[in-house]
Amino acid sequence: MTSTRIRLPVPPASSVVEGAGESPMPAAPQASRHSARARGGLRITTYVAAAAALPASMLLAVGIGSTGIGIVDVWQTVVAHLAGTQSPLSPLRDGIVWDIRLTRVLTAAAVGAALAVSGAVMQALTRNVLADPYLLGLSSGASVGAVAALTLGVAIMPTVAAFLGALAALTLTLLLARSLGPISPSRTILAGITVSAFGVAVTSFLIFWNVQGDSYREVLNWLMGSLAGSGWTTVAVSWAVTAVIGIPLILGARVLDAFVFGDTAAASLGIHVTRARWIFLAAVALLTGVAVAVSGAIGFIGLVLPNAARLLAGFQHRLILPLCALTGATFMIWVDTAARTLFAPRELPVGIMTALVGAPIFALVLWRHRSRS
Amino acid sequence: MSACSRSLTSSRCDRRRLLLTRRLVVPLVAVIAVVLSSCNAANPPGSAGSARATAPPTSGAVSQVFDSTSAGSSVPPNRPTAAAGYPITVQNCGFAVTVDHSPNRILAIKSTSMELLLALGLADRVVGAAFLDGPVPAQWRDAASSIPVISTGAPSNEPVLGLDPDLIIAGWESNLAPDTAGDRGRLAAAGIASYVSPAACRGASQPKKLTFPMLFAEFEEVGRLLGVRESATALVAAQQRELAAVPKLDRRVTALWWSSGSDTPYVGGGIGAPEMVMNAVGLENIAAGIDQTWTSLGWESIIGDDPDVIILVDASWSSASKKMHLLEQNPATARLTAVREHHFVTIPFPASEAGVRSVDAAKDIAHQLAALGFGSR
Repeated sequence: MTSTRIRLPVPPASSVVEGAGESPMPAAPQASRHSARARGGLRITTYVAAAAALPASMLLAVGIGSTGIGIVDVWQTVVAHLAGTQSPLSPLRDGIVWDIRLTRVLTAAAVGAALAVSGAVMQALTRNVLADPYLLGLSSGASVGAVAALTLGVAIMPTVAAFLGALAALTLTLLLARSLGPISPSRTILAGITVSAFGVAVTSFLIFWNVQGDSYREVLNWLMGSLAGSGWTTVAVSWAVTAVIGIPLILGARVLDAFVFGDTAAASLGIHVTRARWIFLAAVALLTGVAVAVSGAIGFIGLVLPNAARLLAGFQHRLILPLCALTGATFMIWVDTAARTLFAPRELPVGIMTALVGAPIFALVLWRHRSRS
Repeated sequence: MSACSRSLTSSRCDRRRLLLTRRLVVPLVAVIAVVLSSCNAANPPGSAGSARATAPPTSGAVSQVFDSTSAGSSVPPNRPTAAAGYPITVQNCGFAVTVDHSPNRILAIKSTSMELLLALGLADRVVGAAFLDGPVPAQWRDAASSIPVISTGAPSNEPVLGLDPDLIIAGWESNLAPDTAGDRGRLAAAGIASYVSPAACRGASQPKKLTFPMLFAEFEEVGRLLGVRESATALVAAQQRELAAVPKLDRRVTALWWSSGSDTPYVGGGIGAPEMVMNAVGLENIAAGIDQTWTSLGWESIIGDDPDVIILVDASWSSASKKMHLLEQNPATARLTAVREHHFVTIPFPASEAGVRSVDAAKDIAHQLAALGFGSR
């Protein structure tokens, strides 16, 4: 499970080192003016494409589903709801568009953005490209909570239980890391691995001990990640948290650049390393905790999209994080659309799809940038 | 149905396992897959581990019986007899099972196995039960009261061996695996015969589409194995009469059979017990087109099909009232015809699996439909 995590911290990508030879100031790459302009042009194209892809994906994905509803009708329905006028569809089909597809697309976008941004921040904080948002034991803690709610018949919504579980795991991880000394990447990773392993064992035990009849189906669905439970509550919660935490993260992203070169370098730039690390860890934990509570433990996105974004955007986190948010949201929308329509009327947990669709895409990104990766 | 038949085909299970690369979830999924699904646990057809395997695998769900002597019609019901009619070899889920005397130390795994034995009047020959899905129905409760339940989940090998059974009757193939009661070949080598409800066979032995005649053939086969042919014949005759008397709906009524799951419902598909029971009362399953006993079904397609009736399986882990609440709470599902008009039918989980309660389930559903005002002919 976590053997790959026990890697020595390495800089996120070789591009980080590029131009950093003379100066550790990441905000001032020493590239030639010419290539900087060429890269700037590429970056602008990338950002425009990413920014346009998200709303376009939302509009298209909401028109796709197992029930054949014309896309114009779908858009008219959405507009009718926003404008408070009469929907052109029957109440049932109106419900499919407004309460099922749209809430799913919107939740997917927020969860995808949250996981990708969390992954990028976590990789910077730990100086490890293999870090992901679940590094602090959040997903295993959330699993314990959700599985306990599902199998023990605890009178609590699995979503709430998952969030509480994630917070409990986070607290344990940070307490453990803290008790080992000043909080550092390797201590954080080791504490996270310990708490994760324990949480996984508790979850397995709960399943092994309590599952009856076909109750494991719901558990399995949750563990593999699914956005099928989306509704307006999950939209509100996921968007609010993603905005409230994600935007300050992006605004404070320069601090992360300093972390990339090590704590000493960061301190020499006037950053209170320990305090900054705590703040970032807590922010990422909340963001991930909400994502995992809403949608289950969806893997791959938080691990791979930041790496892809770094290949496309360079190494400055104020550029990486927005690209992560945009591509994470778009990617999640399409992956979830595939999960709910590809085998319709059956449905796959989206966690299967993220890697199934994402791994080949990431392989392509790696190959396109083979000299830099 | 094996746990996997409630979800995915064997090959899909294997594929699913390959696809899972998420580090944290892999161990959890592995636990579930191994402990519960055991897709890989079933012996492939023809790989019978029994040294006494004599017959080639037969196709279809209903296996042939190869009696070595003439029919043991003189065997009185409920009386274990060593000689007449034995040994018997049957093909069961692609595995040759040989019984050389009338079994009298039987372990029943899952409610369907236990209830079949009780219906055949064999409570005194059952030494243990395990993995029951719900309470024993009232008519057999007294008979069952003296039978110890050795495990609430799938029992492992050692407690099973400790019970010294001569026959294990299991509801799912996954109940007979190295990590559960034991590999069938090894059990046979230890002198323990094993039998899985043919309705739950996986792979090549899986019924293409389960029917009541197949189910009745299973009762007869178990009756032969246990030397109680007449009881089995009488049971089947009674069930056939009851089934013929089940009123059928007088018009097209569509239905959803919702077993568990909330975000993505798990429902009765087109080839298993739910479809068989729904057919018996004249209900049209909206998931009939899916060639699975059980399947996931997205909310969108359920709403798109707008079933007239929703059959809610009542289980301790997913109660009918919880499912009803979910339907009423979600604005999109609250508009379903069945929800608006409160066309709910409930059925206990053990009766939702193929077994002696399947005919009762059909009767029960027909009664509830009549109470909801659906006409029959």
